[in-house]
Amino acid sequence: MTKITHGGPSEEWLQQASEIEDSCRSLSVGGMAVDLNMLPPPPGETHRVFGRLIEYARRKQGLSVEKLAEQAEVDLAEIVEIEMHDEVLPQVRTVYNLAQVLNLPSGRLLEVAGLASPRPEVSNAALKFAARSEPTAPLTPDEREALEEFVKVLVESSDGNPANA
Amino acid sequence: MSAETIQLQMRADSTFVDASLLDGMSPPDLLVVEAEWLTERSLVMQELLRSAVPRSAWPQSIHWDWRRKAPELELLESSGFGIVIESRWQGVMLTKSASHFATLAPDKGKPLVYIDYLEVAPWNWRIPEIARAGRYRGIGPTLFWRAVRQSADEGFQGRVGLHSLPQAEAFYMKCGMTRLGPDPGKQNLTYYELSSKQGMSLLKQGEAP
Repeated sequence: MTKITHGGPSEEWLQQASEIEDSCRSLSVGGMAVDLNMLPPPPGETHRVFGRLIEYARRKQGLSVEKLAEQAEVDLAEIVEIEMHDEVLPQVRTVYNLAQVLNLPSGRLLEVAGLASPRPEVSNAALKFAARSEPTAPLTPDEREALEEFVKVLVESSDGNPANA
Repeated sequence: MSAETIQLQMRADSTFVDASLLDGMSPPDLLVVEAEWLTERSLVMQELLRSAVPRSAWPQSIHWDWRRKAPELELLESSGFGIVIESRWQGVMLTKSASHFATLAPDKGKPLVYIDYLEVAPWNWRIPEIARAGRYRGIGPTLFWRAVRQSADEGFQGRVGLHSLPQAEAFYMKCGMTRLGPDPGKQNLTYYELSSKQGMSLLKQGEAP
């Protein structure tokens, strides 16, 4: 049964507060999933670079976020979440589909995503990649080199067979 | 569920409309919220991408999914508040009561109302870059004000704590909250707290005549 009363803040206060609200982008509070125990145990370094790796690999192929979402059959919001937020644990299917489209070894990519324990060479390569990459516009020669070096380790450690690793 | 009738302003013509401020949302309500908001989130995202708006200007809660917050509402200490206009959810807030404690003197260690999540419906977002003006005004401030009142109602004298997304920090600071710095345990979101003095003063200013 719903009980109805009249309430709410005064019009004057609301006007003032709304003006402050208008000067902000949003009033949102709270970190997604932090309290829901939906995050993995403290993310390792590899997990932290997953979003950037996906972003670089996408930009290298000249794909927009929308195009990548379409080709990988992954929800647009999920790609954005992966690229924007360090602490996101992606779905296995998502990682697998992204690996196919971006031509990365799926087994190793699962490790980078934090969904499997990374072998030491992947961890090391991820650390190096994290140190060298900065999230900016088109890939600089340095970023491209960082990306290529990282991917090389991923491919080599999976016997050079991207599709089946 | 209890409901209060409140008045909110339409941005288009500045007229006031009746709205319901609801207390006691249930987990299934959150599923309805996201069902209503999901398509609009996706539309906003597509418009932002098409207009090449830099990521820094995107609403920082754009990727949220209230369905994932439903289990949290099962907890005894959790409360769900929402604003409804014409049968659609315009804004939602989850709070926790007596499970968080003040860090500000002189009430350090005393319980407060903690705002877990607060978000305004995507069609109410103002995003000048893609010419979105937002339909209703004042949803966020009303929900925040409601949390302060919950704190007073429960005997916590207006004490409120929250972790603000960076884009919202200016609002909470101007509401008189004290900034206590980034919290590594909460994705480095900045923790803000309203002391009992600040809370009671806010409620006094906001009291309807």
